[in-house]
Amino acid sequence: MIRILIIIIGISTTLYAQDDLLDLIDDGFENTYPVNATFKAKRIVNSQSIEMPKPRILDFMILHRFGSMSNGAYDLFGMDEAVIRFDLKYGLSDRISFGIGRSSLNKTFDIFTKVKIMSQKTGYRSFPITLVFFSKMEIETIIKDMSMNDRITYDFQFLLAKKFNRSLSLQLMPTLIHRNLVETNSDSHDLISIGVGGRMKMTKRTSVNFDTFFPIGKRSETYRQGWGIGYDIETGGHVFQLMLTNARGSFESEYIENASGTLEDLDLYLGFNIARVFYL
Amino acid sequence: MNRTFFLLIFIAPLIAKDIFYTRSGQVSFFSSTPIEDIKALNEQTTCVLNMETGDVSFRIPILGFNFKNGLMQEHFNENYLESDIYPDAGFKGVINNWDQVTLNEEPQLISIEGVMTIHGVSKQIKETGKISFKNEKVNGTAMFRIIVADYDIQIPKIVRENIAKVVDVNVRLSLKKK
Repeated sequence: MIRILIIIIGISTTLYAQDDLLDLIDDGFENTYPVNATFKAKRIVNSQSIEMPKPRILDFMILHRFGSMSNGAYDLFGMDEAVIRFDLKYGLSDRISFGIGRSSLNKTFDIFTKVKIMSQKTGYRSFPITLVFFSKMEIETIIKDMSMNDRITYDFQFLLAKKFNRSLSLQLMPTLIHRNLVETNSDSHDLISIGVGGRMKMTKRTSVNFDTFFPIGKRSETYRQGWGIGYDIETGGHVFQLMLTNARGSFESEYIENASGTLEDLDLYLGFNIARVFYL
Repeated sequence: MNRTFFLLIFIAPLIAKDIFYTRSGQVSFFSSTPIEDIKALNEQTTCVLNMETGDVSFRIPILGFNFKNGLMQEHFNENYLESDIYPDAGFKGVINNWDQVTLNEEPQLISIEGVMTIHGVSKQIKETGKISFKNEKVNGTAMFRIIVADYDIQIPKIVRENIAKVVDVNVRLSLKKK
């Protein structure tokens, strides 16, 4: 009898021992981790994303938009023409990055910065969203005889993003654009809009993206709401973004407030962004 | 008499066993190709050792691997280890001939055997390590290699030259009594 009991004790203890040892020290302890890769690139389609260069990384981007597709095969859906913008951005820390850019459209230079105010986290001290402040100064240089003051446009944005799961991320963008020079007296210097953007991953390395900006307040008659849809392909240190958009320029005052294309006569623009990172 | 034994049956497993553990074990890995070196350190590894049986269990949070290069860290989590689906790597095994091991200050060679789980793929492995006992703590170290393809971690053609097929892993632990 005793022998049988000893055997049972032995069996029962080994049975318990086969339970995960880790459970023995389980006290609900959890680490906290920041949420990574809400978007693949620093742009969603046209608009800025909450992503910024990582510390000590230099990010070079080419933003290329072809001409209008409205002429069809005559100029190969606008591919005979192009406006191009280059920029270089650098990550100073996890929270601060800055950059400079130059666009062939209106020969516009720009300097810009992104500051991460809060970041989405999982685990013990989880936090639901990432909040980034973006600001940019654009300097138009196409007209030689012009005061410096009149050349300048300012862009301010709060970028609020949430990565819902590995595929879906959405972003909200309250935006203020201040133009020092406006075309007519009835045009407002300050333009407010709310941008919405998002991405849906198709595979591990590709995603479909969209963005658009809803105007708040009055706009001129020629105003069209700017939008873009795109497809991201990531390959190691590169990100390629192919897109269709109704905006010709790839800087904020253009794609938010100066989009001109319409769907009706296929007056839209094909384009692509290429981003490449360098480790410094 | 019988009653005592029945009590023992139920109580014995509940009495705290001789358990040593850590939540801040170090696991690092290193891979090298002519194009770039990849290394990362994790200092959030949980390890539990049952001093009676020699059973060990590891939990290694994938998000806990820190890279010097933040973009590599992002790709490691997003594209290779897929930490949103497989948040932890783990090992569950036993130190061979545990009853013949007497711990002292001198590190002694042991062999350890069990199931390693990375990226949701489990694989039987057998590696060697060193174990010692000093200042009330059990210290363990191990160095071994992992073949990336064994764990269904796919490396696209375009970066195949940058990422080594074999990764050196280094484990350093200091376990305290529970």
